[in-house]
Parts: sequence; C-alpha cells; structure tokens
Amino acid sequence: MRCGFCGHEFAESEGNVGCKNCPMSSGCKMVKCPRCNYENPPEPALVKGIKKIFGKKDRE
Amino acid sequence: MSFFGKKGSCHETPTVSSTGAKKVALVGNPNVGKSVLFNALTGAYVTVSNYPGTSVEVSRGTTAINGEEFEIIDTPGMYSILPITEEERVAREILLTERPHLVLHVLDARNLERMLPMTLQLIEAELPVVLVVNIMDEAARMGLEIDIPLLSQRLGIPVIGAATAKKVGLPEIRAAIAGFTASTVAPFGYSRLMESDIAAISGCLKGEYILSRKSLALLLLQGDDEVAELVRDSEGDGFAQVETAVKEKRFERRESFHLDLSMERKSIVKKVLDGAFRTPQKRVVTLAERISRLTVRPATGIPLLLIVLYFGLYQFVGVFGAGTLVDFLEGKGFEEHFNPWITGLVKGNVPWPVIQELFVGEYGIITLGFRYAVGIILPIVATFFLFFSVLEDSGYFPRLALLVDRVFKTMGLTGRAVIPMVLGFGCDTMATMVTRTLETVRERVIATVLLALAIPCSAQLGVIMSLLSQSPRALLVWSLCLFGIFLLVGLLAAKVLPGDTPMFYMEIPPMRLPQFSNVLTKTYTRMQWYFMEILPLFILASVLLWLGKITNFFEKMINVMTPVMASLGLPKESAVAFIFGFFRRDYGAAGLYDLQSKGLMSPRQLTVAAVTLTLFIPCVAQFLIMKKERGWKVAIGIGLFVSTFAFGTGWVLNRFLLLTNIV
Repeated sequence: MRCGFCGHEFAESEGNVGCKNCPMSSGCKMVKCPRCNYENPPEPALVKGIKKIFGKKDRE
Repeated sequence: MSFFGKKGSCHETPTVSSTGAKKVALVGNPNVGKSVLFNALTGAYVTVSNYPGTSVEVSRGTTAINGEEFEIIDTPGMYSILPITEEERVAREILLTERPHLVLHVLDARNLERMLPMTLQLIEAELPVVLVVNIMDEAARMGLEIDIPLLSQRLGIPVIGAATAKKVGLPEIRAAIAGFTASTVAPFGYSRLMESDIAAISGCLKGEYILSRKSLALLLLQGDDEVAELVRDSEGDGFAQVETAVKEKRFERRESFHLDLSMERKSIVKKVLDGAFRTPQKRVVTLAERISRLTVRPATGIPLLLIVLYFGLYQFVGVFGAGTLVDFLEGKGFEEHFNPWITGLVKGNVPWPVIQELFVGEYGIITLGFRYAVGIILPIVATFFLFFSVLEDSGYFPRLALLVDRVFKTMGLTGRAVIPMVLGFGCDTMATMVTRTLETVRERVIATVLLALAIPCSAQLGVIMSLLSQSPRALLVWSLCLFGIFLLVGLLAAKVLPGDTPMFYMEIPPMRLPQFSNVLTKTYTRMQWYFMEILPLFILASVLLWLGKITNFFEKMINVMTPVMASLGLPKESAVAFIFGFFRRDYGAAGLYDLQSKGLMSPRQLTVAAVTLTLFIPCVAQFLIMKKERGWKVAIGIGLFVSTFAFGTGWVLNRFLLLTNIV
C-alpha cells in the first residue's frame, strides 16, 4: 500500500508490527507507515473480496 | 552499538543466516521501491521485527534461486553511510555486522544524480554492490534516458535497470544475486589533496575492518563517533596516532571538509553520468508540479489553504454534511419518523417507565445515543472523511507540512507535527498517540497540549461548523479565537519548555489525482472504524446519563455547573452539553446542536459555548491516551490547564462580545 502522507510504498504487514506496544492495539486497525508513522486505513475485507472476484491485484 | 565488537576483514567470507542461506541486503533512500522489490523476491514468507535495542523494524525473507537459498534483508531507508537518524544507523549496522554476500543498492532512476553519491560510498567501502536503477518506466515517461551498460562500466559494478512494481528487471536481479562474485575496486578517485588527506589517516590504520580503510578515513574525517569508537577498539595504543592525524587534517580543513567532500562526490557523479544520463531538451513542467510549487510557497500556499478549507470544510462538511444531510437524517428520519415509532413501540410493550426512559427517554439509548451517532455524527464524519481522503490521496499533506514548518518552528515544533495535527481533525485520541513519532519529548508535550486544547475532532468540527454557519460573524470569531489560542499557547509552551527545535526533513511525493475507488475505500474504512468505536461509547454514555437522571445525580451536576454557565452568559441547560463533552467531544457538540434546535441559545451564547466546548477538557479516551503516552503528571497537568483555560477564555469572550456586540 502507499502511505497517504509521505507516499512511501510498503506491505500492509510492515505497518502492523509496531502496534503490539500500543495501548489502543485491540481497538485500532490502522496501518502505520514505517517511514513517517502516518496512520493509513487498511483495505476492508469486503473490498479485498470484491477485488479478488474481479481478479484485480495490488501493486505489492 | 554491537558492531563495535566485531572485527573482521572485507575479504572475509560473508556471514550466512541460521538456515545457511547467504544474505542479501537491500539498501537505498526511502521510497525507491525497496519494499516492492523485497516482496517480489521473497513472496509471503516474511518476518518483520524490531532491530535489537531499537524501535526500527527490519523485514527478512528468503528466496531460492537455482536451488540455492538466500536471505533477503529489507534495511531501513538511508541517505548516506554516515548515519544521522536511527534508521540509518540500523541500516549501516546491518551492512557491517551481517556482512552480506551482496548489497543491492536500489535507487530511483528519476533522481539518479542525487542518489548516486551513496553508490560511490558503498563502492569505496569495498562492499559487494550491485546497483538497481529502479522506476525506469516513470523515468522513460519523463523523457529521461539512461545508458545502463555505460553506467556499469564507469562505476565498475553490475548495474540493472528495473521497474520492480511492474516486475521488470526481476530475472536480471535474481541472476545477479545468484551469480555475484566480489571484485570491486573503485574506478574513481578524489582530488590530490583529498586523497592525500585520506592516505594520511588510512596509513595509520593497522587493524582489521569490515569497511575499507579509505571509507573509514573519510568517516573519521567527517566526525563519525561510532566509527571512531570502532577504530579505538581495533587500534588500541595506535589510536592516539590516528586521532592526531584526524585532528590535524580536520584543523587544516576547518569547517569546509563536509562541503569539499560533497562537492567532489558531486563532480564524480557528474563525470559518471556524462553521456550515460540524458534529460529531454525541454523539461516539461507538469500541471501537478505547478500546483505543487504553488502549495508550498507562503504567498500562494496560504490563500490556497484557505480556499481548500472554505470549500472542503465549510461548504462540503459544514453546510452540506452537517447542514443538509443532518437535517435530512436527524430531522426527517429520526425526529419525524423513527423516534415516534420506536417510542410508541417501546412504551406499548415495556410497562416500566424507568426502563422506557432507558431506551426512549430524554437521554435514552435509542432516542439520544443512537440518534446522535447515526443522525448527527455519521453524516458529518462521512463528509469529513471523504474530504480528508481526497486531500490525503492528492499528496497535499506533506506540502502542508512544508508550508507550516516555519510557523510551527516558532512553537517549538517542526512541519512533521502537522501529521498529528491533521489527524487530530479526525480524532484527537488517535492523534495524541501519533505524537510519539515526534523527535523530542518537548515536541511531544507541546503537540499533546495543542491537540487537547485547540484541535477539534471531525464530528465536533462539523457540528460546530453547522451551528455557526448560520451566523458568519460567529464562525469568524470562533475561527480567530481558536487560531489565536493555538499560536499563543504554542509560543508560550515553546518558551516555557526547555530544549531546541529539531531539524525537519522530508521527501515530498508527487502530487496526483486521487483515485475514486481508493477515496471511497478509505472513507468507508474510516467510517466503519469510527462508527464501531463511537456507538458503544454513545450507548454507555446514555446509560450513565440515564443512571444520573434517575438518581438525581445528573440534576445535581447541572446545578453545580449552573453558576459556571451563568458566568459565561450561558443558559443552565448548556451544562448538559459540557457533561456530554466529557464523555466524548462530539457528543458534547451534538448536545449543543440539540440546544440550538430547541431555540435555547442566542448567536452570542452559541459562539461562547462553541469556543469553550472546543477548548474544553479532552474526552475520556483522549485523557486516557494522554496518561499512557505522557504519564499521570503531564496528563493531569494538561487536563487542569485545558479546563481552566477553556472556561477563562469563555468568560473573557463573553465579556468581549457583550461589550462590542460583534455577534
């Protein structure tokens, strides 16, 4: 995915690892950019499912 | 750092991973496509973990080429092997301690000239380098021509042209990884004076090192403390001689060494690129570039920001979202149809008035909590998040950071603090957490105070916009008050808190036209997240208010607050909005909206209430996060300061408005 703030491209898995130290980790599903720490919303499962049906792949 | 203790030679066999795989390190500036290449090489079998002793994350994965396994390490972005940031330190430490079989230097073909100096550093350090000139497709679109074989010949290392996002160049990269044999000798040199300085230092180095002596000498001359420690450990008694030589050379060069070295490297890069890199005769300045320039220059950037705020926030969120949509959903949907129907249904089926009150009473879960969440807050956050996503996807935020950097510096912050501030307009709780990304504790405290005080969250902002948009003067007074207080408190905090303002550096991504599907996806996700978070809280708040009502505690609270409200020139009923506001900021704002709908407030009172409520104590969630991030002392201190300041400002503003009759 591409960070909405700095434009850095990264894998969604990279943006969730640091979350385990966060007090809100159980409530927030945001993906944090590894470069600038901006919080990006993840792609919802519904949208991923639709993309899968239509065979549209992510850049990653 | 741990590499101090490791001694070895650059000619030693590179280390292998625990599984026996040779290591391949991906290095380069941020945003050059390292992670995309990493993913393309490794697929799904990846581990991401903090580098030991740091908060920097490093990804590792494996790939098999011609039956042989390789461990791929995606290092954090680095601009030079002379590190400044923690990320750069970690990236360099990986090169030094893990001594990879191959270092893949990935750079952006569009910024070749700017990024090649690091390639020179890697080559002169005698690391086993292969250069990947990435994003060749975009470069070609811009009319840039790069002669890859000539570049390879001049640098003396393998060079691969690639567009990893489109899987172009991947077979060549995989072949380079599998077939690489180290034999790098830098085919370039510096001026006679610089080489003689390097020789004077490197001649004193007797120990065994991972980096070449030439590279070490340059790092010592540049004042790299970590390398100095490494050399001290390695040289033992001989270090005094090295230190003397470095001091002499640095004294001779005074302050000019960094500049001289940088100029010489630039000149080498120019020679390397001469004939190997061609730009189009006439540089085409795209519309996006023009707009980008306009957004960062104060003379044009500030009016543009005001236009964006007027159309985006005022017209779209305030007038359309909080006005038209809320009128329709809350006014028509809930007040006219849903509430009477559900009230009848509950009253007809539940015989106990107390329970009826819990669900459909004045502070009922359905008639208040659910109505506020769905009828008032949801349309406002939907329009706000839509506007926010469009701005976000256009690449406007980093430009805004650059634009406000100078103003923020006067408040002890840098443009980087614009991230939590902008996020604060979405949700202050989330934004308070993001302040941890700011460099110094001082910055974090200042940003936390400003977020708690002067940044309204999306729903609060929307509701207040809607309330005050009927009286443009009231809106102007509210905006000026908030802006003035933001600046004043920031300036005072910067004066009171000790410490210096750090440097701000960030790479600006290109401006782009937002993709409709992406904007919708983001808006949907944020709305879903927000709604799932607020609905239980609104229900809980309704239950607490109901409990307060049936036990008369709520009435007592209102009575306690009545003198405070009176001193602000507000009716007794407005205490309810402040009590709501403590549960959640947007809940309080929605309460104010209710009071206005009932015709209980004049424009002056609305202005005073809106300013006080915006400044008022952060909601419970934000307060708890402040406590977690900054500790009890700071959180309570901020809470007390914010509450006192809010009511003090409300009192002064009320007097001022009574005297001047502006609103």
